Amino acid sequence: MTTFKQIAQVSLIAIVSATAAQAQDLLFLAEDVPAGLNYDGPAAAIPTSQTGMVNVMEPLFDYATNPVNETGLITPDFNTFEGRLVESWSFDEATLTWTLNLRQGVKGCDGATFNADDVLYTFARGKSVSGAAPIGWFLSNVGSIANFTADVFGDESARPLGDEVTKIDEFTVAIRQSEPNALFLPVLTIFGLYMFDKELMDANSTADDPWAHDYTNNVNVPSFGPYCVESWTKDNEFILSANEDYYRGAPAIKRVVMKKVPQSSNRLVILRSGQAQLVQALTPREYDSLKGADGISVGGVLGNENLFVHMNFDVEPFDNPLIRKAVALSIPTQLIIDIAYFGEATAWKGHVPSSYPGYSESATQYDYDPDGARALLAEAGFPGGDGLDAYAEAFQLTYVSEKETTLGPIVNAISTAMREIGFPVTLNPIPQTQYGDRQLVKRDLPFAVNDQEKPIGVDAGYATQLFFVSPESGGLNNMVNYRNVILDEIWAKARVEPDNAKRDAMLVEIQDILMDDVVWAPIVEYTSQWAYSDNLKGMQWHPDNSIRFFDLSFE
Amino acid sequence: MANPPTDKVKKRVDWLFWFGVAIVATVSFLAVFGAAIAPYDPTLATVRVSVPPPALSEWPGLIWQNLTGQLEQPPHWFGTDAIGFDLFSRVISAPRIDLTIALAANGLSLVLGIFLGLLAGYFRNFMTETLMRVSDVLQSFPVFISAMILVSLAGRSTENIVIALAMLYTPIYIRLTRAEVMSQRVRGYVEAARALGNPELVVALRHVLPNSLAPALIQSSVTIGFAILLTAGLSFVGAGVRPPAPEWGLMISSGANQIVLGEWWPSVFPGIAISLTVFGFAVLGNALERRYDS
Amino acid sequence: MLTRYVIRRIAVGFVQLFFLIVVVFFLIRLLPADPVSRFVGLNPSVEAYALAERNLGLDRPVMVQLGHYLGLLPSEGKGLLQGHLGTSWVTGSLVATEISRALPVTLELLTLAFFSALLISVPVGMIAALRPGGWADKGVFVYSLFAGSQPEFWWALLFVHLFFFTLGVAPAPLGILSPLTTAPPVVTGFVTVDSLLAGRPEVFLEALHHFMLPVATMVFILSGPIIKMVRQNMVRALSSDFVLYARCAGLSRRRVALYALRAAMAPSITIIGILYGFMLGGAVLIESVFSLGGLGQYAIRSILAFDYPAIQGVILVITAISLLVYLALDLIHAFIDPRVTF
Repeated sequence: MTTFKQIAQVSLIAIVSATAAQAQDLLFLAEDVPAGLNYDGPAAAIPTSQTGMVNVMEPLFDYATNPVNETGLITPDFNTFEGRLVESWSFDEATLTWTLNLRQGVKGCDGATFNADDVLYTFARGKSVSGAAPIGWFLSNVGSIANFTADVFGDESARPLGDEVTKIDEFTVAIRQSEPNALFLPVLTIFGLYMFDKELMDANSTADDPWAHDYTNNVNVPSFGPYCVESWTKDNEFILSANEDYYRGAPAIKRVVMKKVPQSSNRLVILRSGQAQLVQALTPREYDSLKGADGISVGGVLGNENLFVHMNFDVEPFDNPLIRKAVALSIPTQLIIDIAYFGEATAWKGHVPSSYPGYSESATQYDYDPDGARALLAEAGFPGGDGLDAYAEAFQLTYVSEKETTLGPIVNAISTAMREIGFPVTLNPIPQTQYGDRQLVKRDLPFAVNDQEKPIGVDAGYATQLFFVSPESGGLNNMVNYRNVILDEIWAKARVEPDNAKRDAMLVEIQDILMDDVVWAPIVEYTSQWAYSDNLKGMQWHPDNSIRFFDLSFE
Repeated sequence: MANPPTDKVKKRVDWLFWFGVAIVATVSFLAVFGAAIAPYDPTLATVRVSVPPPALSEWPGLIWQNLTGQLEQPPHWFGTDAIGFDLFSRVISAPRIDLTIALAANGLSLVLGIFLGLLAGYFRNFMTETLMRVSDVLQSFPVFISAMILVSLAGRSTENIVIALAMLYTPIYIRLTRAEVMSQRVRGYVEAARALGNPELVVALRHVLPNSLAPALIQSSVTIGFAILLTAGLSFVGAGVRPPAPEWGLMISSGANQIVLGEWWPSVFPGIAISLTVFGFAVLGNALERRYDS
Repeated sequence: MLTRYVIRRIAVGFVQLFFLIVVVFFLIRLLPADPVSRFVGLNPSVEAYALAERNLGLDRPVMVQLGHYLGLLPSEGKGLLQGHLGTSWVTGSLVATEISRALPVTLELLTLAFFSALLISVPVGMIAALRPGGWADKGVFVYSLFAGSQPEFWWALLFVHLFFFTLGVAPAPLGILSPLTTAPPVVTGFVTVDSLLAGRPEVFLEALHHFMLPVATMVFILSGPIIKMVRQNMVRALSSDFVLYARCAGLSRRRVALYALRAAMAPSITIIGILYGFMLGGAVLIESVFSLGGLGQYAIRSILAFDYPAIQGVILVITAISLLVYLALDLIHAFIDPRVTF
């Protein structure tokens, strides 16, 4: 038996060194491979599809970087923007117009060349809302680009691009906002507004499909990024080869093979065997077991991933502030950090990722306090939980069943702790699709645990607009049906406040209100982690949690 | 001319038969009393996460200590899993769910299948032929995938799993009963019953039916076993029983990821349990079949 | 008589298929999740929702949707009659393309498993039947009962742990080929066949190596019922009149055994065919554990994601194949034993 193992290992080393003799390819194992490369398509919300998009496409702007953190990961500096496809820019406050001077000599794959026409094409495509999902439109709307309003959905004549985006010359573009909104630059760093190459997109469009949705859903996406799609088999693998003409320099890693391996334990084992050099989406337990393993590094950053409990204001008894506070006090945060995250998490003290500009820590906090919870429960009229059985259906703790491995310990710890205090908690795992439907569209989930909200705009204000403004006033993902007129008013002012200091002060007010009302019961912020070979350098965190292969190199 | 092996076959059947009875009896006992004798609540998480089971050499000592009340808490005979559940408690509490589902599904499909099979076998007309064709289609549905869809449709509850399984197993019983009925209705006693002036339906129900039950009943044992496997399989992919209910398939699924980390016990113990249980039912069914044949 | 039976059987088969398609269509629409929401994602305003609904074709009346799906309404778009299985809501690709990629994997697994299982099970069943009551027979009998009642997903996990993790003889459960190997050009969709056609025997061997564990698991499970049945039929054949006559006539034991085997194979073929159809949907769990990317995995993903067109496509394909298999078996049976045609 040992001989077999030795033979296997020797042949394995032979294969690996044979490939290493040439410049090394990167074998990257993920839970899925891109299901589409179209950010206005059905796959837009899928993280692995976004990974495909951000490595093949290129943005107008991105963030500058901070130095390496303690685990060796580079993080972005959210206060400083860098031009990517834009070389320099200026803003005219009077006309609310941004003038962008585009970079010249930018080449993409298959002979794509960048100029102002591509910028206009990209915004026109977004405004046409012709795809399955209107992400391009949405981000432009969030950034208050003029005329990107909800009218485009009902009124076809409102869809063609107007004068809000104009071509001044071949390498200069002017974009006009409808109001002074500080989110303009942040949204341009997001995958949903990366630039297309007009000529190649047109070449691959048809009369039925003028914006090439089918092509970008299934074949390729013409852009100006550091990698070109070499081959793509959905549900299996996604192979990229370097764009040698990339304007920031040819990538160090010439070929990336992204392979789908659904089970996280399989990904772990293959990384350990040395066959793969980079894996993602392991469980916290698995990352923990890799620390100290020979030849493997685990890098992590406290980014924008967090865990909270969601209680629906429209469902009794969660309309009762005392019950909400009692629940918040019943959550055993430290236990969760220990058994579910193995130390790779910290208590979350707000409603917005702490790494985001505009974050503030409120004075009101809800640390684990079972006695305090019992007192509040009694005060609410349910001493020891008597009478709560009438609300048993509301206390079904819902969570995404596909995440049973990571959420299992968490929901059981919460359920056990809450039952000890008297809450009649039961577990209710449902599939991701159903969860999304109930959270986003029906908004009828009474009680749930959520670990997948990562506000895509890196800004506390953006998070507010998305989650906490009332649905009637535009709160698009206000899953708990929180309706506070005061908060809506403060945000309406903050949204268009040009003075950053004043805006930040208003955001502090907003976050204090959120904690007082226990809009969410924040539990922890957890580390976003990746595991990779020791000799892989340059790992960098980006707010969409996708790896950029251009950052990486082998030592 | 008689088969020489008959005597040896009889001996073999007895040994195996009692083995099957022992297993089925144990599982049935656990189904009723399992949750009561479990040292820990199978659905409450403890803080002792991923504790390995004690080595076999330690067991006698632990048993003695447990009996004489020296231990603060009962030992984790099978260890604990990543959530902190005591595995022993969960493994012995699981038969209640698995067996209930299997028995209910089998019972439902048995009753339906026998009745419809009787009709199809006795009254051979256009309607019964259509029934058989429909039953054919149902039988050609991929069992596992259909069960997944049916459970996803109605939601993950034990009632829905029972209904889904019953729908899938009924065609088998229809077929078996129909075949037996068709062979029975040409027998002499049926002719006699008719001659006495009994209406057809009475002949069917009172005379033919009792003599046609055997194949279906024998098949039951095997079907119950398969129902347990199917429930476990559904739970394994996330379309069966809901956590934290103790169910063998769920336990194997949640423990699967830990095998590579060297923690074998969360998946292995429930696996052994299913393995032995279904085997026991299969053995029992086979022994009954032999008894009926001879 | 025979031709009339054949025609009738085929006609019935088509009716069954049609009935199946319609039932599945309506059944799936009862699923308790709204597929529109996943597309609306970041911006579920009423207008965006309505637009997404229109894009998916869900705003039309149900009967119109059914007509479109069947291909009866060419103005709405292509449907089944034109060979169009719809577009997946998860990936946006044609369901037919995705299934044509996944199906050969499953068929390859099943075919390899069945051949291997038959190779092992038939001789074992034969030998056991030739010495009934002996130790071999006893052991084989118990084994067949045991193997046929096992949870295959659990054994698959155990095999991975033992053979890959502990012993290191099996490759990682990554799929049919190692990720560093480029796949041969697709001709039949079967990697083994395609690699030989492309003249790359090393890829052929690698594919077999990767199939080792999943096939071993399936052989373990399949051998149970096959051995049991071969043995049973052999015993029955050996005690029949013509075997008795052959023995009396002084034919050698081996010759007699072969005659008995031929008689035992006919009913066995029926069961094997049924097993094949059964395993088509039953290889699901093994595919998941080994990440093979076959039809079973595709089905699971589609069901959990409420991807209507994909689910309909998968059920249609699997059931159609099963019906085809049963039809073929019925026809073979009718050919061998014409009494059946009445």
